[in-house]
Amino acid sequence: MSLDTLLKKASVRSPWLFRINAGSCNGCDVELATTALIPRYDVERLGCHYTGSPRQADIVLVTGPVTVHMRDYVLRVWNEIPEPKVTVAVGICPISGGVFRDSYSIAGPLSRLVPVDVNVPGCPPRPQAIMEAVVLARSIWLKKLGLEG
Amino acid sequence: MATFLNTLLQNIISGPATDPFPFGETFSPKRVRGLIRIDRDLCLGCGMCRHVCAAGAINIQRNSLGWTITIWQDSCCLCRSCVTYCPMHAMSIDPNWHSAHVEEDKYKRIEQHTISYQPCARCGTPMRVMSLERAKELYAADPDIDPEEIRHLCRSCRQIRDAEQSTVCMLRSDISTAPAAEKS
Repeated sequence: MSLDTLLKKASVRSPWLFRINAGSCNGCDVELATTALIPRYDVERLGCHYTGSPRQADIVLVTGPVTVHMRDYVLRVWNEIPEPKVTVAVGICPISGGVFRDSYSIAGPLSRLVPVDVNVPGCPPRPQAIMEAVVLARSIWLKKLGLEG
Repeated sequence: MATFLNTLLQNIISGPATDPFPFGETFSPKRVRGLIRIDRDLCLGCGMCRHVCAAGAINIQRNSLGWTITIWQDSCCLCRSCVTYCPMHAMSIDPNWHSAHVEEDKYKRIEQHTISYQPCARCGTPMRVMSLERAKELYAADPDIDPEEIRHLCRSCRQIRDAEQSTVCMLRSDISTAPAAEKS
């Protein structure tokens, strides 16, 4: 068994999460923090762990409508995440622009800039809905790794 | 010390606080906001929901045959304005919050109804048929009018029908218009 396959199989149980705030109102970020930190929801049961570095991340959660000011930063950080990665758009803002759609200061929606895999709409979505999105993202991530499905 | 031990004992008895979701069932508050639904029997196509929608998620397209009302759930911010302002109470909130979906389904998450006009039973003008509940509610005080018949009439025909056969005008004359007795 090659080292690559071994690493892939070992990392399957723990996709690490990375958050990008692309001009969010902080509502979705609060829900993401709730999902991770409050024992009632506890996303770390799924092996997910919020990492501070994009180079360690597997699943990237993007909140906010991607403002013109944030666009280059979002793309720079997003490109630092190693492949295969799964992009999750959290909240209606990165999905469609939400209440900020067609504003002069919005460069989004996110799917215009980077390929998005999972959407979880809501303003903000419930922690349980975010958990569902992470589970869905994990299955897509396993497919991208070629380990499942 | 005793308080601490008491709390510890209670925590041991009550078990873990973690919700078993996604491996088990989760709780769902009764009034949680999940999706906006339209009751197609009640919608009049007045456009109030589109006017008040903060996120621009509602679209109404009219033509000579009727109208198509569309809500894009991926743009709806669940502010509930349309539910508040709909004069016909046609909008409601579905507590189904299972909203996570893959990118391919992004534009499939819509609520769309095409509602067509029907000819007025008397003059044949294309018009929207009033819902039976609304007609019963409006004409509750008037036993002479059959709600099933009146709901198929256009606005002007309805006024004519009211004037022809209603006894409400006569009944109204019974109401005393004399000033109320002064306070003693």
